Amino acid sequence: MSRHPAPEELLFDYASGALPDGPALAVALHVALDPDSRRAVERLHALGGALIEREIEAPIDDAVLARTMARLDDVPVEPRAVTAARRPGFEWAPPPLAPHLRPDMNWRRILGKFDEIRLDLPGDAYRVSLLRLEPGRGLPEHKHPGYEYTVCLQGGYTDATGSYSVGDFAVGPGEQRHEPIADPGEPCIALIVVEKPIVLTGPWGRWLNPLVSRGII
Amino acid sequence: MLSADEAADLIEVIAARQDRAAFASLFRHFAPRIKAFIMRGGADAESAQEVSQEALIMVWRKAASFDRSRASAATWIYTIARNKRIDLLRRNARPIDTEDWLTVFAPEEETADKSILAGQTYTRVKELLGGLSADQLVVIQKAFFEDKTHTVIAEELSLPLGTVKSRIRLALGRLREALEKDET
Repeated sequence: MSRHPAPEELLFDYASGALPDGPALAVALHVALDPDSRRAVERLHALGGALIEREIEAPIDDAVLARTMARLDDVPVEPRAVTAARRPGFEWAPPPLAPHLRPDMNWRRILGKFDEIRLDLPGDAYRVSLLRLEPGRGLPEHKHPGYEYTVCLQGGYTDATGSYSVGDFAVGPGEQRHEPIADPGEPCIALIVVEKPIVLTGPWGRWLNPLVSRGII
Repeated sequence: MLSADEAADLIEVIAARQDRAAFASLFRHFAPRIKAFIMRGGADAESAQEVSQEALIMVWRKAASFDRSRASAATWIYTIARNKRIDLLRRNARPIDTEDWLTVFAPEEETADKSILAGQTYTRVKELLGGLSADQLVVIQKAFFEDKTHTVIAEELSLPLGTVKSRIRLALGRLREALEKDET
């Protein structure tokens, strides 16, 4: 059980398919690591199944069934899905992250302070990154004009709102400034999904913000 | 009618021997329901039918990954139909992963005694739906069937966001409490 589960409304939007890809990936990773949230989503899926079962049937012509059956000749029944082996060095990555980690992706040092892998998800409303912080190191103080979703995947970090460890989920609302610091022990790795370009508020911020808004850092 | 066990049997028969009669039975039961479900989201009959056809074809393709100890047939088919709908809404975008991680892969630490609950959860949820108030059911159906975030639902029902959130929370809370009571 995690101390910081994803809010129930977000789990609902995830289960109903209403979340955009970026936030949906954040919730999927949280759910993979947190048995209670997983259970909650399983219940919501069962609710979806029960709602379908209750539906009054909308008629479908027999010809449609015939046409669909005719297509089956070209559709093999695939063997049972297996979880892909985790890439060396990426053992911390839960299965839902695997399809997004291309072999050519690797850590990139940013501002000499932290490492980043920028993930490539469709749509441009969210910036989706993996961040890695050495123990005791912090991210530059920043604030977000939009929503920010964070899932901790390895190690832990602490900011003004609390301490987060593996599986913990944080939703950063709006204008709140925060400065996360990685806990002692392993490097902290987290998935961060940011709605709009972040705004750096520290002394270097105003020099760096043009680079952030252009997606360079 | 098709019971949950019968539906699961049919999927397993497809996995075992590509049984077309089993597919036809599943199609006759689920395709018209999925079509109705998709139409609640504002889709026209033709698009809704396309989603239900594509969903059933995906059921055929992925039949071997269905695991009745992890989800009921209707639950599994719900996740496929939901994903197919998103695929078709974003026709030009990269299709999303149609395999729902939760209903396909066993979490390592989840042991058999918990997985027995999967079918029970579904049966119980079906019972509990009948016990919701009309207000609660409307809010949940809107949230599920109209693919809307809470803010959009609040605007549509001309309710404050807080009210929508509290109705959803109340309805889901009742379901969760009842289910948790069963599990302990």
